[in-house]
Amino acid sequence: MELVFIQILNGLQYGLLIFLIASGLTLVFGMMGIINLSHGSFYMLGAYLSLTLTGLVGDVFVALLIGVPLAFCFGALIEWLFIRHLYSRDHLQQVLLTFGLILIFNELQRILWGTRPHAVPIPSYLSGSIPLSDVLSYPVYRLAVAGICVLLALAMMFVIQKTKVGRMIRAGESNPEMVEALGIDSRLLFRFVFAAGVALAAAAGMIAAPIESVYPGIGEHVLIISFVVVVIGGIGSVKGAFAGALLIGLADAFGKVFLPQFASMVVYALMAAVLVARPGGLFGRA
Amino acid sequence: MLQFPRRPVVILLALLFVAALLLPQFAGIYGVKFATRVMVLAILVVSLDFLIGVTGLVSFGHAMFFGLGAYGLYFLSPISDPANALIAFPMIVAATALAAAVVGAFAVLTRGFYFIMVTLAFGQMLFSLFHDTRLAGGSDGAYVNVKPVIAVAGTTLLDLGHRVSFYYFCLAALVAAYFLLLALARTPFGRVLQGIRFNEARMSALGFNTYAYKLLAFVAAGAVAGFAGALFAAIDGYVAPDLFGWRQSGTAIMMVVLGGVGTLFGPILGALMYAGLEEVLKTASLVGPWVADHWSLYLGAVLIAAVLAAPRGIAQLFERADAVAAAPEAGQIVIRKRAPGRAKSLAVAGLSRSFGGLVAVDGVSLELAPNKVHGIIGPNGAGKTTFINLLSGALRPSAGRIRLDNEDIAGRPAHRVARRGLGRSYQRTNILLPFTVRENCLLAAQARHPAPWRLRRSRYAPEENAAVAFALDALGLGARADTRALHLSHGEQRQLEIAMLIASGARVLVLDEPLAGMGNEETGRVTALLRELAVDHTIVLIEHDMDAIFAAADTLTVLVEGRLLAHGAPETIRSNAAVREAYLGRWGNP
Repeated sequence: MELVFIQILNGLQYGLLIFLIASGLTLVFGMMGIINLSHGSFYMLGAYLSLTLTGLVGDVFVALLIGVPLAFCFGALIEWLFIRHLYSRDHLQQVLLTFGLILIFNELQRILWGTRPHAVPIPSYLSGSIPLSDVLSYPVYRLAVAGICVLLALAMMFVIQKTKVGRMIRAGESNPEMVEALGIDSRLLFRFVFAAGVALAAAAGMIAAPIESVYPGIGEHVLIISFVVVVIGGIGSVKGAFAGALLIGLADAFGKVFLPQFASMVVYALMAAVLVARPGGLFGRA
Repeated sequence: MLQFPRRPVVILLALLFVAALLLPQFAGIYGVKFATRVMVLAILVVSLDFLIGVTGLVSFGHAMFFGLGAYGLYFLSPISDPANALIAFPMIVAATALAAAVVGAFAVLTRGFYFIMVTLAFGQMLFSLFHDTRLAGGSDGAYVNVKPVIAVAGTTLLDLGHRVSFYYFCLAALVAAYFLLLALARTPFGRVLQGIRFNEARMSALGFNTYAYKLLAFVAAGAVAGFAGALFAAIDGYVAPDLFGWRQSGTAIMMVVLGGVGTLFGPILGALMYAGLEEVLKTASLVGPWVADHWSLYLGAVLIAAVLAAPRGIAQLFERADAVAAAPEAGQIVIRKRAPGRAKSLAVAGLSRSFGGLVAVDGVSLELAPNKVHGIIGPNGAGKTTFINLLSGALRPSAGRIRLDNEDIAGRPAHRVARRGLGRSYQRTNILLPFTVRENCLLAAQARHPAPWRLRRSRYAPEENAAVAFALDALGLGARADTRALHLSHGEQRQLEIAMLIASGARVLVLDEPLAGMGNEETGRVTALLRELAVDHTIVLIEHDMDAIFAAADTLTVLVEGRLLAHGAPETIRSNAAVREAYLGRWGNP
């Protein structure tokens, strides 16, 4: 029973983390029509920023406050340098260019940080565990990660629902041509959304770093999983990404316990099943 | 449409072929092995281009069939004896074709981005299956101990373990795969695939079962990829789960895009360039130790530069600018007298369709006699286009029946309705823009025999050519036959759409504003044509040009807010008080 409870917690925590990554991906796809294969690299960037900045300032949460704005600026730069050229191109060219970016980011990571895995320390005040039974306990830091994810998700919801930028995003989400028609400078809006997506993915990488170790290629697994989440939820739907992320998180957590060899297959089978039943995803328009 | 490559390309390919023939004479063992790998990858990417560039299905999981082919060789190779390639390879091809049929049956249900993701998911599933379980060595991979041989009656004819023999075998395989797929793309089957790539809705409305076509293309490409995988496993005698992975699929897409999508020869050049570049960048003696150590940095930069500079790939260098015919001919519509023939009648009863709470078509009952011109008029939002979409099968009715002669066609998919002889045009011109006028009409004519397994044109060619010639004449497009549809004027494009319907052999023509955007003269000619076509067609048209439709139609139907307001001869409609009240307004006054 405790095991089931722990797996539910694990699944929700993993799902929330994936949601941070997938929300940016789904907005960028929904609004700008961009398939961004390099999105996982921004998660990796976060993980390594966490490693370096925590080494400098000592606490992963202080590092987060410095790292997220840095990632935002980095995202804006990447959008300006590369992504903006892709808005009028077809999916294949987007795949090719962003695949090129992955190669470059991975190599830069190797040059800057090397290939050895590293650990990021959990802050001492969160290093304990909550006992659930005589043998099982749950680490406090994982709960804190889930808490931060919920806070960020709420903040994102606030921005999307209540602010002027959010209104533009919603207009763009439901009808990309609308943005132009409303006289909004879509170039700035796209840059903001892309950079915000990068910042969210990096934030996920930063707070996840103390749980996982930090290693090369860390972004690629979350990339594929994030795409699965985007598709399950319905392209462009933040709500759908949230539902899809929790679903995938739970499926993964339970798969790992009950079907350890088939855990990854369960996730992909779930996606195939959703698409056969609802070809536009759970919250998709199609 | 995909042509046999132009002369500069043929010369280049011939030079490459000769170079490949001579290569074992002066390259060492390593060079021969590298070239073998490039050729096997080229087979994989040509098959992927058949999916992406010919059919328009962007698969991000094509490597799953490559992996299956490779593992197929592992499973079929005995521990200590060589497998007989003559038995093993056909079995592998059959098995991957079967796997492609199963995966494709699900994947082809989805479109666009979702198709990309479903194929990715299937590829990752297979990757996990071979990576996470102990099947065939699990994540460590497994060795094929003895390479296959080609043996007949116990005599070994060719030992694929011999590096140079194997090299020539792969070269022959690449040449065969290229010509096979090029020929397949140029058969009637392949021409429909090319049509689907650019406009699936149009192909479906002409009567082609696009699901079946796409599935068959998926199976064909999967089988060729499986063959490539079996060859790949024989290079090193080693298979690993990475062969299934998204990176392998992604790299194959890179090669296709780098070479030129939809050309079939481009991806071969793309594979050569990608693999060659990677090899050069990894060689420290050529580029220095720092670059060789960080080669993927440079490969990434080259990919990005290539996308930005040459979006259509290497093949772009060999493109020829379109010859656009000088002045648009004022096409003379030539109306040939034909024997009258009874066309089908159309009747609807209680036809309704609602979208959520909105009832767009509300209980319409109507009988449309054969060999007449029936006009449908009504204010904007009256449900006219929805009504037509219901007739043609583009939408399923919420309730009601549609009879074509005595056959109930309500709820049937568009391609089955089209096969019963109902052809439709769209409010926004719906043709195959990159193809010439003649190619558009030929594809339409091919819908007379729409079965996907047509690999030869010859049997029906006379019938189809006659249909095309008649349609081109009828719409005055003869002089523009070899112009690409995208270079036509707006009015000519609309005429082409009608020509396609005529060429397709449809006997009930359902036209959505065929006169929109035409000048006075064109309008007069097309109206006269419609009257003439009624000799052996039933015509239903929506039109806003009141003068034209009152002159052309035998009966008029007035729809208002989804309901039938009035139906009758033009004179009775003109004097109908309710119609004047609701719609015609001042226009109806003398």
